Amino acid sequence: MLPIDAAAHSSRWRRRHPAEKAFLGFGLTLCAVGLPPWPGAVLVAAATLAVLLGPAGVPGRQLWRAFRIPLGFCVTGAVPLLFEVGGARGLVALAPGGPAHAGELLLRTASASLGVLLFAFTTPVSDVLPRLVRAGVPAPVVDVALVMYRIIFLLLDSMTKIRQAQAARLGHTTRAATWRSLAGLGATTFVRAFDRAQRLQSGLAGRGYDGTLRVLVPACAVSRRFLTATGVLLAGLVVLTLVLERFLP
Amino acid sequence: MHIAEGYLPPVHAAAWGVAAAPFVAHGVRALTREVRSNPESTLLLGASGAFTFVLSALKLPSVTGSCSHPTGTGLGAILFRPPIMAVLGTITLLFQALLLAHGGLTTLGANAFSMAIVGPWAGYGTYLLLRRFGAPLMVAVFFGAFVADLSTYCVTSVQLALAFPDPGSGVPGALAKFGGIFAVTQIPLAVSEGLLTVLVMRLLTQSSKGELTRLGVLGRERTERHEEAAAR
Repeated sequence: MLPIDAAAHSSRWRRRHPAEKAFLGFGLTLCAVGLPPWPGAVLVAAATLAVLLGPAGVPGRQLWRAFRIPLGFCVTGAVPLLFEVGGARGLVALAPGGPAHAGELLLRTASASLGVLLFAFTTPVSDVLPRLVRAGVPAPVVDVALVMYRIIFLLLDSMTKIRQAQAARLGHTTRAATWRSLAGLGATTFVRAFDRAQRLQSGLAGRGYDGTLRVLVPACAVSRRFLTATGVLLAGLVVLTLVLERFLP
Repeated sequence: MHIAEGYLPPVHAAAWGVAAAPFVAHGVRALTREVRSNPESTLLLGASGAFTFVLSALKLPSVTGSCSHPTGTGLGAILFRPPIMAVLGTITLLFQALLLAHGGLTTLGANAFSMAIVGPWAGYGTYLLLRRFGAPLMVAVFFGAFVADLSTYCVTSVQLALAFPDPGSGVPGALAKFGGIFAVTQIPLAVSEGLLTVLVMRLLTQSSKGELTRLGVLGRERTERHEEAAAR
């Protein structure tokens, strides 16, 4: 299992309805993207971190491990904004206002990523997918996504084992051997994916499979209190940003 | 490779979502039709999607010294056709955003447009064109995967250039800037992905002829010829 999904399965908010967590996580992400980065994104990031580490109970170390990946992309993505090319000041020069622009982008992307992580760290994908049919997503697409989700972990496991076996046979000692091993890994994974699908098909056929995958969805009610508190938090962030924007430099 | 969460301004994020929607809707219709007429294909399509997801976990040795991973869009499009890839690619991007914090939800439309739509269509078009002109299977596969990978990054460069025009030279300058940065890593990576796809396809033609025939990659006559040769 992947670390974020494993954390979501044992999250303190696991039993909360996914719609509540989606409203909070995606609401914060939309605030981060839509509000002015200064001070909006900073306030949203602070609020998201407070929720993540406080009521949601996400361990700080796990959060950092997951967050440093998008943070790396944010930093790399902000660097090109520091420069201008082909302008009046030469082929490559420092862009006027580039650092401010890059800083704003960094704040926005980092803050928006935290909002999505809040949802991901508290809601397993297996809780979301079956409910998507009620949200209007065609059932066959949801079924395919469910099968994908279940097979992904088996294939990742297989890949790790194949890679270990290849390394034990000195399959990564030279560049040529690495390429051969990679090709073998890709092909074996493909064969195993199809083998899994066929075995799943045989198993389901024995249980009267009629083309619909029925899974048990744990019943949980949407908490109006949670939704109201989320609405107040989001509205508060918007108002505070608009007020502070007038007074801050 | 994927555009990170919150990287695009809201208007751009929404516009790319709108641009991707018809292709994904077309793919959803194709997938729904396929599943309704052939219920067991749900499992096959799920396995195909899972394969696309794990393909992006393969680490490729890059010429620049670092490691990178293939997009898998070329191989996916050749095996499963672009409309199906539009749906499988979008689900893969959604899973990558939620399970790996890679990409994002506000940028899902933009990423889907480059990786699940343009990449597969360009790669599959190249593959089909070369096959029509009588190119050997592996040559067509190489160029299909190469073009799919490269076109994905070209579209990503255009998306970034439109979102962040250069202060001095506007969108063309920004396109040169982002394209230049991608070109250093992506042209060698596209060649690497093309080579890897050829190696994978070569192994698949030896070990999974039945599946490749069912997917329409190998003609039935060709498979029968292979089987007769093997029997002899």
